[in-house]
Amino acid sequence: MKEFLNINNLSVSVDEKNIINNLNLKINQGEIHAIMGPNGSGKSTLSNVLAGKDGYSITNGNISFCEENLLEFSPDERANKGIFLAFQYPVEIPGVTNINFIKTALESKREFNGLDPLKPGDFLKLIKEKAKVLGIPEDRLKRQLNVGFSGGEKKRNEALQLMMLNPSLAILDETDSGLDVDAFKIVADAVNSTRSKENSMLIITHYQRLLERICPDFVHVFVNGSIIESGGPSLADEIEKNGYERFNNG
Amino acid sequence: MKDLTMANFLNSEKLDLSFDNLTLLSNERIEAYKNLKTIGIPSKRNERWKYTDLKNDIRNINFSLCETSIDIKNSSEKIEINEIDYFTNNKDNYLKPIKYLNDEGVIYLNLSYSNLFRVITIKETPKKPIFVTLETFGKGMTFPRFVFNILPNINVEIHFLIRGGDGFVNQLIEFNIDRNSTVNIFRVNESSSIHSETFMAYLKANSNLFLNNLSLPKNKSRFQAFNSFEEDFSSSSFKSVSIPFKGCKDDFLVYNNHLSSSCSSNVGMRSILNKGVECSFQALIDIENKIKNSKAEQDCKAILLDEKSSMNAKPEMKIFNNDVVCKHGTTIGSLNKDQIFYLNSRGLSKLKAEKILLQGIISEYISDTSPLFNFLPESYK
Repeated sequence: MKEFLNINNLSVSVDEKNIINNLNLKINQGEIHAIMGPNGSGKSTLSNVLAGKDGYSITNGNISFCEENLLEFSPDERANKGIFLAFQYPVEIPGVTNINFIKTALESKREFNGLDPLKPGDFLKLIKEKAKVLGIPEDRLKRQLNVGFSGGEKKRNEALQLMMLNPSLAILDETDSGLDVDAFKIVADAVNSTRSKENSMLIITHYQRLLERICPDFVHVFVNGSIIESGGPSLADEIEKNGYERFNNG
Repeated sequence: MKDLTMANFLNSEKLDLSFDNLTLLSNERIEAYKNLKTIGIPSKRNERWKYTDLKNDIRNINFSLCETSIDIKNSSEKIEINEIDYFTNNKDNYLKPIKYLNDEGVIYLNLSYSNLFRVITIKETPKKPIFVTLETFGKGMTFPRFVFNILPNINVEIHFLIRGGDGFVNQLIEFNIDRNSTVNIFRVNESSSIHSETFMAYLKANSNLFLNNLSLPKNKSRFQAFNSFEEDFSSSSFKSVSIPFKGCKDDFLVYNNHLSSSCSSNVGMRSILNKGVECSFQALIDIENKIKNSKAEQDCKAILLDEKSSMNAKPEMKIFNNDVVCKHGTTIGSLNKDQIFYLNSRGLSKLKAEKILLQGIISEYISDTSPLFNFLPESYK
């Protein structure tokens, strides 16, 4: 099985405060990993570091992606190589329409990978198809990117981008938060539909309910910037039942 | 201290040539000239806006008239165009602006030296927009004056293009907008002269004035508008995008004087500042105690793309009663790093992300269907 992501002894600090400590994690092609952990344990820091956000100091260790040093690449290069971060709090971009943005992102990725842009008609057909799956009305595609969207609409829009860009490694940072019950099912099922032997996922969540619909191969418990226990889906069941007390107590 | 700029005006025989046009209006001109000498050429010391120093800026301009062309294209017979005869037949009109503002040096400057006049009277709604182009040539000065008389129940679109020159333009524009009429102006300033423009609108009941402005100055530019809501239920909306060229200045000032009840005003500016440019936004909402049910908004957003550029924002409100809905906001800063990262995370390079964000800011005021869109610099389209 091809190794996709290899995080080796990674330590990360922000303003000289250690957030991630000697983290080790391997994700192979086709695997789905879930990270669960209490608030402030460093989960979102990990997703930001993987996506290449500024402001984090790598004080130790390395990350490879498809056998290349990920830390050498800019955020856009990482995205074009196949890493996708579904944001916990997607930002609003006034003046940029949703559909134009997704078209530009898709063209950028295709250009990076030596492919011609999709024909306008094909792109339109594809995005309408995906939007329909997610219950996104067509008029929302023409609205400004995330501007005035509710929390749930923003998360659906992240899922739409995920489906359109079809990344090798999708990092879902609390994609389930802010969704009502019906929207949760739609988004979870849509994300699950992108699952394949070629693609991997890293799901960051607080809740076991998402993992019921997107069954992970591995569940990791993340506390104080480290994985302190790993297991199968049953580990998520235990956390749902008993919380993080056992892990916090070491 | 001797006022060298004023002395240059007083001693300029070449500029006096413009007076030849005005022998029939000599009393009015002399009155304006006296006031100009009292107030002086606008400087930082005596102007309500403090960000540019016109007196200093024009000191080295050639104190003679420069060649100026005014081109007006319209397709309607119901549009009448007059020149100086409009004022000679009704001399009160000549000094009308100072009945509203009597402390503005640039107005007295224009009234003293006005050398070109176009009075455009619109009697019925034209089927197509009216296109006005003002172009100047050379290093001298020019003092054009426009008056638009919009009769009742008219809906008109006016495109105004200002360009050329290497001197000083002091322009005065008035809009007399009668009842139930709507004026939609698309203005582009790409002048390479020092450009000072005073825009005065007098709005009657149920009239509306929209100004969509794209300012691309290649020198120093100031645009100051004074809107007087003379009757109830009139409104104005001024939206300006400013992208000055390297090292240039752009001032935008709008004074909304709510003289009547149930009127609304809206002023906004979007500025992209790079390569050592300087920009200012000043908006004043003035609502007296007896004026009720007013709505007024001010909004300024400026993006600084380098450390040498600067933005001055001065929102002001003089509101003397509670029956008002008023909003104001100003944002000045660099591009939002979280927005850039979001776009980067979707595969867009930093350069492309910045371009998209800037296009987004501009598109709040200039969409790709706006007549102003084609005038935008290529990098913002």
